[in-house]
Amino acid sequence: MTMMKLARRKFDTLVIGAGGGGLRSAMQLAQADANVAVVSKVFPTRSHTVAAQGGMNAALANVVPDNWHWHMYDTVKGSDYLGDQDAIEYMCRAASHLVVELEHAGVPFSRLDNGKIYQRPFGGQSQDFGGAQAARTCAAADRTGHAILHSLYQQNIRAKTHFFDEYFAIDLVKDSDGYILGAVVLEIETGEPLLIEAKTTLLATGGVGQLFRTNTNAHINTGDGIAMALRAGIPVQDMEFFQFHPTGIAGKGMLITEGVRGEGGYLVNKDGERFMERYAPQAKDLASRDVVSRAIAVEVREGRGCGPNADYVMLKLEHLGAEVIKKRLPGIRDMAMTFIGVDPIEEPIPVFPTAHYTMGGIPTNRHGQVVVPLGEGAEEPIPGLYAVGECACVSVHGANRLGGNSLLDIVVFGRAAGNHIIEYLTENRHHRPLDEGSVDNALARIARWEQDGEGESVDVLRQELQRVMEENCSVFRSEEILAEGVVKVQALAGRLQNARLKDQSKVFNTARIEAFELENLMALGLATVQSALARKESRGAHSRVDYPDRDDERWMKHSLYYEDGRVDYKPVRTKPLTVDTFPPKARVY
Amino acid sequence: MSWRGANGLRPWLMQRLSAVYIAGFLLFILFNLAAAPVISFDAWRGWVASPLVNAAIALFVLALLIHAWVGTRDVLMDYVKPVALRFVLLTLFALIFLISLFWSLRVLFSVPPS
Amino acid sequence: MPAKAFLPQRHGVHRDNGNLFSMCILCLCGKLFWQLRAWLAAMSRKTETMRFLIYRYNPDEGKPPRMQEYRLDGFDSGDKLLDALLRIKAELDPTLSFRRSCGEGVCGADSLNINGRNGLACITPLNELGETVEIRPLPGRPVIRDLVVDMEQFYHQYRAVKPWLTVHDPEPETEYLQTPEQRDQLDGLYECILCGCCSTACPSFWWNPDKFRGPAALLQAWRFLADSRDQATGDRLAELEGPYHLFRCHSIMNCVDVCPKGLNPTQAIGNIKKLMLKHHV
Repeated sequence: MTMMKLARRKFDTLVIGAGGGGLRSAMQLAQADANVAVVSKVFPTRSHTVAAQGGMNAALANVVPDNWHWHMYDTVKGSDYLGDQDAIEYMCRAASHLVVELEHAGVPFSRLDNGKIYQRPFGGQSQDFGGAQAARTCAAADRTGHAILHSLYQQNIRAKTHFFDEYFAIDLVKDSDGYILGAVVLEIETGEPLLIEAKTTLLATGGVGQLFRTNTNAHINTGDGIAMALRAGIPVQDMEFFQFHPTGIAGKGMLITEGVRGEGGYLVNKDGERFMERYAPQAKDLASRDVVSRAIAVEVREGRGCGPNADYVMLKLEHLGAEVIKKRLPGIRDMAMTFIGVDPIEEPIPVFPTAHYTMGGIPTNRHGQVVVPLGEGAEEPIPGLYAVGECACVSVHGANRLGGNSLLDIVVFGRAAGNHIIEYLTENRHHRPLDEGSVDNALARIARWEQDGEGESVDVLRQELQRVMEENCSVFRSEEILAEGVVKVQALAGRLQNARLKDQSKVFNTARIEAFELENLMALGLATVQSALARKESRGAHSRVDYPDRDDERWMKHSLYYEDGRVDYKPVRTKPLTVDTFPPKARVY
Repeated sequence: MSWRGANGLRPWLMQRLSAVYIAGFLLFILFNLAAAPVISFDAWRGWVASPLVNAAIALFVLALLIHAWVGTRDVLMDYVKPVALRFVLLTLFALIFLISLFWSLRVLFSVPPS
Repeated sequence: MPAKAFLPQRHGVHRDNGNLFSMCILCLCGKLFWQLRAWLAAMSRKTETMRFLIYRYNPDEGKPPRMQEYRLDGFDSGDKLLDALLRIKAELDPTLSFRRSCGEGVCGADSLNINGRNGLACITPLNELGETVEIRPLPGRPVIRDLVVDMEQFYHQYRAVKPWLTVHDPEPETEYLQTPEQRDQLDGLYECILCGCCSTACPSFWWNPDKFRGPAALLQAWRFLADSRDQATGDRLAELEGPYHLFRCHSIMNCVDVCPKGLNPTQAIGNIKKLMLKHHV
């Protein structure tokens, strides 16, 4: 097929991904009368935002005194000083307004007796720059993501956003001047490619949790947008920082929200000891996620794990009482009963750190513009391309994201990108012409999987990749293990060239979609393990046993991994917008 | 009430109200029969002829037919898709029910008071 | 409106109506029958090997739909039906198509008809299904391929109830206030995941999917009617008037029986009718 024969549609803005970030932008653009298309490989409410449980941070001070500046401090500290402080200030300042806006859009937040939005304590939160525990996380029971995603989808229906449901994005379309002019997508139902031309393209495709065998993520979280950016010549930032959530259901991976500990639950080892008191004397179970995850891993490694194989710890919440559990944590109660037959009202839940969140991603500025080192500048925007949410790296999460900041991230930068796109559209009123060769890569990618014959199985390769990542790029890392990981992933990437599809049908061929997804996973697996090998320090979620300390002198910088395997660096933006810089300090909880 | 209201809420309400009346009436009959078993035709005739009972029975027939009409209409709306056929069937049932009503009322009111 | 709606209908020839009759029986026998059947099935399980009879159809092949048998063993005690489907696709037959996303019962992608009963594959335990498991697409919907059905009509009915908060007053600077008791009214309503198990198990929706809103959409209609913040009560009720949109519900309660989130659309529908009555008198 050539470009001439390709079906095509034209829009002002193409949003790829219908999670919270994509839908927040799309809503605003549609309300501003822009012609906006949302492409999603699943029906929008199946996007992974729906699984977010605990809540969204904003210093509303509905429960205890709070202040956006304290929130900013916690976020900078939580990021282990790798977060960009201008973007963090922007996010924390905007938070309260955006929570209120979501409430106006219909989100059924839980309520306090005075009728205001309910807020619960979450990990890494403090009052007064490291003082007493704050309660900053706005929650709709433990189904906050579901409530937000459905409300945003509803507002998009109202605003008449044009949805392409069950279309899979193959590749970005770029012209010779470096403008991004849309994408080639595949209608899953018919297997037919479609060229969507757009003056602006927003990537909101989420993270890459499926890199790891046990993860809290949906099956769809294969980092498609990040890999598309990588293939378009954009480096990916800070991929070595992958968050392991302390409390995934042991061996299964389903997420048990930090809100459980926020409501008063705590972790115990096989001796019944509340071990977090040793690791984080002040914050205890509500220390930052990287800290709690490492503590659990150490407990298990030193033989204090629970169960027949001593390979997990217990999350106790029986003492909260049936009423609190049913009212505030009904979803995780369902989950525990469904997946392990445990009713948390009566018994503790077995948990273990589980792959959860991609801190790294497509480098952007605080307007959601994708930025790359071009010419002299370290951060030149790519015209027409935006990224928000987990697939982007603004970076507000740095080396470790705080619980409750991801739902905030998607709406804050979803809106910021929407604002900037509206501005861009007023200055760029016309579609730029596309040249014949600009869709060749995408079409070649589709054609590659039309080769018949015997070959490697996509499924086997994915499982092997997930096992390698889990064994060689997990909570604790070392030079030797990571170097081995690089070799193994490279070998798998080589074998992927020989993979073939047994199913060549065009109609709703999910095997073909999984093949495209595996290509994306493979590229990002390499990015992750290579970036991790390169970073010789321990910071946030990246914990090197051979370099146990943070090294601000040499390593307080963002890594940039290119498709060819090169790893480059750029400085952290330590200057906030209006307030003073939070200089790096020892990080204790 | 709009046309759609007349075709949605009202039939539903009539069905509910008629059901309540039917249930109440049946209880009333059962109670009466249990309290004072009617053994002769004349006694029965006399009982039916009393104005209160006569009116109650007339209302019962009306309620029963309304209930049947709403139910029949629902079934035809669900299962009979061709509009013409549905219209014919609805008309047919309406006629049957109307005739039944008039016939029942004639029988009832023809009972002379004893 | 999704792009799909503008394209000519490419499928819709085959609908899985095979078990509509048995599902009518379900209306009569209710939950007890299924509980008994599940117990019997659990008791009669002797071997580790499980037999899966799966509905297969690919319009590309030009063949009529068929049931295909797969056998698998080596399951863990906690495994769910989705685990089995993923293993069948990985180990036995990569051509089997089905939807899945979150894998933990919150996204609603993998709704299927399992042994005659609608449910989510990812939270249906294998050990409650017996030795033979019959898996079909959701009943009454056009089959696109295998277990994948076209849900457009279901989504259309959802959009038709205008499922968004409508407030006519000027927006305040802060959140709309709502007491915990007012907020409690939304519990059991907002949790809907749009999986479609209820509407595709509803005989009224089978017969009038183009006109009857169906239990899922009506549950959402009530979710906004019940919201103390919403100010469109009159419009919402007016939209639901007439013989079809709301009043095709005959309280069969299949929706309540199959809802994987334990929600009660029939009660919501009853509440709408009561409110409508109150508005008229």
